Parts: sequence; C-alpha cells; structure tokens
Amino acid sequence: MTERLLIANRGEIAVRISRACRDLGISPVAVFSDADRASLHVRLADHAIRIGPAPARESYLLPEKLIDAAKRTGARLVHPGFGFLAENAAFARAVRDAGLAWVGPDPESIDAMGSKTESRARMKAAGVPIVPGMTTPAKDPEEIAAFGREHGFPLLLKASAGGGGKGMRIVRAEDEVPAAFARARSEAVSFFADDKVYCELYVEKSRHVEVQVLGDRSGRVVALGERECSLQRRHQKVLEECPSPVVSPELRARMEESAVAAARSVNYVSAGTVEFLLASDGRFFFLEMNTRIQVEHPVTEMVYGVDLVAEMIRIALGEPMSVPAHPEPRGHAIECRIYAEDPSNGFAPSPGTIHRLRWPQGPGIRVDSGVEEGDTIPLDYDPMVAKLVAFGSDRAEAIRRMRRALRETRVEGIETSIPFFLALLEDPDVLSGNVSTQFLEGWTYPGDPAPTDDAAELALVAAAVASARESLSVRGSSQPRPPSAWRTARPTFGHRE
Amino acid sequence: MKYRAKVAGPSGERSVEVEVQLDPTGVVVSLDGRPARWDIVPTPGGGYSVLRADGRQAEAVPHPGGNGTVRVRVGAERVTLELLDELTARAQAVAGKGAYRGSGDVKAAIPGRVLRILVGPGDSVLQGQPVVVLEAMKMENDVRAPRDGVIRSVEVSAGQAVGAGQILLRLEPA
Repeated sequence: MTERLLIANRGEIAVRISRACRDLGISPVAVFSDADRASLHVRLADHAIRIGPAPARESYLLPEKLIDAAKRTGARLVHPGFGFLAENAAFARAVRDAGLAWVGPDPESIDAMGSKTESRARMKAAGVPIVPGMTTPAKDPEEIAAFGREHGFPLLLKASAGGGGKGMRIVRAEDEVPAAFARARSEAVSFFADDKVYCELYVEKSRHVEVQVLGDRSGRVVALGERECSLQRRHQKVLEECPSPVVSPELRARMEESAVAAARSVNYVSAGTVEFLLASDGRFFFLEMNTRIQVEHPVTEMVYGVDLVAEMIRIALGEPMSVPAHPEPRGHAIECRIYAEDPSNGFAPSPGTIHRLRWPQGPGIRVDSGVEEGDTIPLDYDPMVAKLVAFGSDRAEAIRRMRRALRETRVEGIETSIPFFLALLEDPDVLSGNVSTQFLEGWTYPGDPAPTDDAAELALVAAAVASARESLSVRGSSQPRPPSAWRTARPTFGHRE
Repeated sequence: MKYRAKVAGPSGERSVEVEVQLDPTGVVVSLDGRPARWDIVPTPGGGYSVLRADGRQAEAVPHPGGNGTVRVRVGAERVTLELLDELTARAQAVAGKGAYRGSGDVKAAIPGRVLRILVGPGDSVLQGQPVVVLEAMKMENDVRAPRDGVIRSVEVSAGQAVGAGQILLRLEPA
C-alpha cells in the first residue's frame, strides 16, 4: 500500500516537506485554505484536501480538520512543519490518539520545553548552562552585590512582578548597587505595587547561536553543529549561517554536548533546535528549545550533507537515523529570508501578483520557495516568499555566491527585501561577523543606492522606448494590439535575431 | 516621440530631453540632442534587454506609476525617474507646479483591514502624519497624509477590509 504523509502546513515549508516525501517514495498529501486552492504546495501533491476559509484560525489551526484530511486520504503520517500547530502538544497528542504517526517529538517533550520555568529547571538539573539569576527576591543590596561578586557584572535588576522592560536597571559595578537597588525598588512599587526585585547576569552584545539536534527511537541523539542567527529585525531572524563565524571547534564541541544533554533530558526524538545566547567571552546559556524543524534548517543541511526533513520522517516510521555519530561540517552556508516587503518604504508589506520570477541557479545555490511566476502572495499569511541559500568552500565564497544569487533573482510585481540583503552584505561588521542580536536595531537600510550614470541612462532609454511603443501601438490601429502580441512575436528593435 | 525626463544620478537629479524614433531596423534615442542607435529586445514580464552601442547591457523593467513617474529595475538596481511626453510637460509648465500633485484623497497603498482611524472630519493634518492604521500580512502599517490639509470625510470604518487604491479619507486643502 502506498505510504502517504499529510503536510499540515502551507507555502514554502509544505513544498519542502513534499520534496522529502518524494525522495523517500512517500506520497504527499496537501491541505489548503480558500486562499491556497492552487498554491504550489497543492500543485505538487498527489492529494489535496480543503480545510476551510483563508484565516488560519479557521483552517490551518484546526486539528480536527487536519486529522480528518489524513483519514480521508489514508495518510499514516502527519508533518506539522513550522508555525501553525508545529509546537502544539495537544495536536501532537490528537494525531497520536487517532492512530497516526506524528513527525516530530513526543507531546511530553513539547510540553516540557514549552514552559519557560519548567525547561529552565530541567536544564539546570541536566547541567545545561542557564543565565545565572536569583531564584528568590533580594532582601537587601548586599545580596545583589554578593551575586555580582560570584557571577560578575553587569547585572540586570528586575521587578519580580515586572514585564515589558519596565522597572529594569543595568548595574555595571558593585559600587552602583545600593543606589540602583533603591531606585529599582521604588520603580517596582510605582509600576507594579510590589517592591520585590531580583537580579540576573546581564549578557551584553550577545549572539544567538543554536545547535541542531536529531534523536531517534533507538535512543541516539546527535548534534549537527550550530547556526549563527544573530541578525534579527523585530526579533525575526533575517539571515542565518552555518557554521557561526565565531565558534571554534572546541566551543562547538561544548555547545553540542550541552545541546545533546538538553535533548536527552526530555527524551527528545526527531529534529529539534537548542537555542543559546553566546556571550562575547565565549560563555553560553540555554535560551529555549524549538521542538520542530526550523526555517533556517537548509544551512545545516548543506554543510552537514543531510536531509533533516527526510530524517524526521524516517524516525517517525521507527527507523534509525542515517546520520553518523560525529558529523563533521564541510564549507559554509548562508540563508537570506526573502520577504514581500519594500525596504525603501519602511519595510511595508508588498503583497500582489508575481508576474515575472527568475530564481538564481548554478553552483552552490539552493532556493526553497512556495511560489511560482503568476502566483499571488496572499495577505493572510507570513510574507516570506523564499529562502535563498548559498554554499561555498568557505564563508567568503558563500557570501560572494549569495550576492550573485541576489542579483540574479528577478521578482516583478511585488517588492522584496533583496535590496536590503545586498546592502547588508556590504557592511564591514556583517562581513567580519562582528554582530550581536542588537546589531540590526542600530542599523538602518541606507535606501536604494543612487543609480550609476549607466543604470540611469539604461533605465531612461527603456522607459522612453516602452512609452513610445505603447503610444505607437495605440495610434497605429483602431484596435490596440494586445501586449501579448509583442511577446509572442518577439520583434526586435535592432540587429540581434 | 519627444519626452522631458528627470532622472537621479550619482551627482543629483538632472533633466534630459529624450527623443525616440522607432523603425523596423532599430531604435534611435537622442539624449539632449545626441542621437545614438540602441538594440532593444523585449523580455518576458514586460522588460527589455537594453544594449548600448558600446556593448553595455542590462535587463530593464519599467513600472509606470502615476504622474509620469516610472520605476525601472535595472539588474538589481532600482531607478525612479519622471518621464513626461512633450505635450504633457508643456501643459504642466503652463498650469504651474501643483497641477500634477494628484487628488487630496488618502488611499490604501496595499490591501488590508482597517484597524484604527486616527482622525475625524474637520481635523487638520500635516503631510506625513499617520491617519489610518491598516493591518496587512500580520503587521500594522501606518497610512500617512499625502499633504497638509483638513479631513473632509472618512470613507471607511474600523474592521473593514479594503483593496489597494481604495479611498480611506477625503482631504481638502487647509
């Protein structure tokens, strides 16, 4: 009987999962909302089931519709992708209870990592470093000072009842403690009517570095190196790379060891990511674990020569993973998330129909996209159009290839973040890897570069010829020629044939 | 066809007189009276492979906007220029600079849902002031007043879905 897998997602990741299915000889089953009736992920599937209207809460977020679609098509496996219900333990349980195989970790693992306090406690018990912090409010300034002497400065003073950054103070040295303590306390009272304050280590200029792990039912857990994800805009990653330009083999080994310990502590099965905050002095601290495949997984796949989505499916079928015990990185990969937004207009969303699309090709280039020429980017979902990934023998080559890929790409009909990436990949700090998670907060898109004289002249000639041609075709006959006649006939205004 | 164009370059904006002569054997474009033969082949999606006599080539895709503005993608670059045919350029010169500033309506640049309306009839607004908040693609987007003026009417209500180009507010000069 044909093995079928239901993809409980849409867009680029649904297409990605569909490809892994084909590679494994499994038949992909798509689901779609009314906004996605003929989207690429539907067109690539053998079966497709409508699950509701465009809003996600009436379609892609409805467990019963998804499970029903699996049953109707005889799919035995369910892959949630990322976003939507991917980290929803109740959905994972419902899938399991329906007698289907969930392509992901057990719901117990999702639950354990889903709670900030529980995961912190578990990590502490497993010996995974967490940001040092007081677990009870400070009785007096001396307690804060003692904490600083033990863990180092600067410290972040926080109101126990606080949130949203209110009532927080940074303390840079021990002699600042008494005044800061008094101030934080009075702020805590005025903001939250509660004078309790505590402190934790404040990690300045930290980077976001995450480790990919993979576990199977035989109890094996393997780490596949790290990804550098410090370049974030509005807390959204925009450019990721593997390996991190600042992680040495020795540091990688220690981070991988911690990540495997974190995964083991929750009996982790399938692909997952342990996120760390990496301080400039090389210390690293557990942030959280993402219990799913990540957007940026392709950079790991290119450097480690694995197919993480196919491994997830193998593991869900009860098979052992096909990854060696100590996978070694080879080369360097960079990913740019291309969004339908206009960087020269404050990154305003730019939905619409793509009437011209050329993806880059050639050595070292991978494109994961959910759209084709003629498709419309719907307003209802994430505006990511594609992930462009460039691989090189080293970081410099990967960057050169990424620039080539960005320049080769053609998207007409909508604006994209490509000009932003071209500018970003000229920044000296980005090129040297000297960035932190705050980097893009202090970096503004410089605007479209002033065109060169050549570009201005070519643009002017193209615009004038287009306009002249249009008025000629209107004047030349009582019935205007359709523009398609130009395209099919391909007349030339010159000597090239 | 004769045009008056304004185009930005590395040394600021400049005005150019453009004349285009199309014939079956080629195209001659005169820039400020200097004619040159160009080789121009249409490409899919409304663009052109533009080849200058010295061999310089680029794929250029013009996107006409309002008021004679044309945004042209040249390779990975974007060039915004103003291109008016001679008649329109003359009419504009006679009518004065304000003739092509467009209507005073505040329109939705993108389709979305009206989240909040920040002004009411009779309110004075300044150019660039946020007047409506639209939700599109899971983000809030400010719609700003295109010029100084007084709100004459509000054409939409909060929660309403709007299409690109739909009028949200009517604005009259102060």
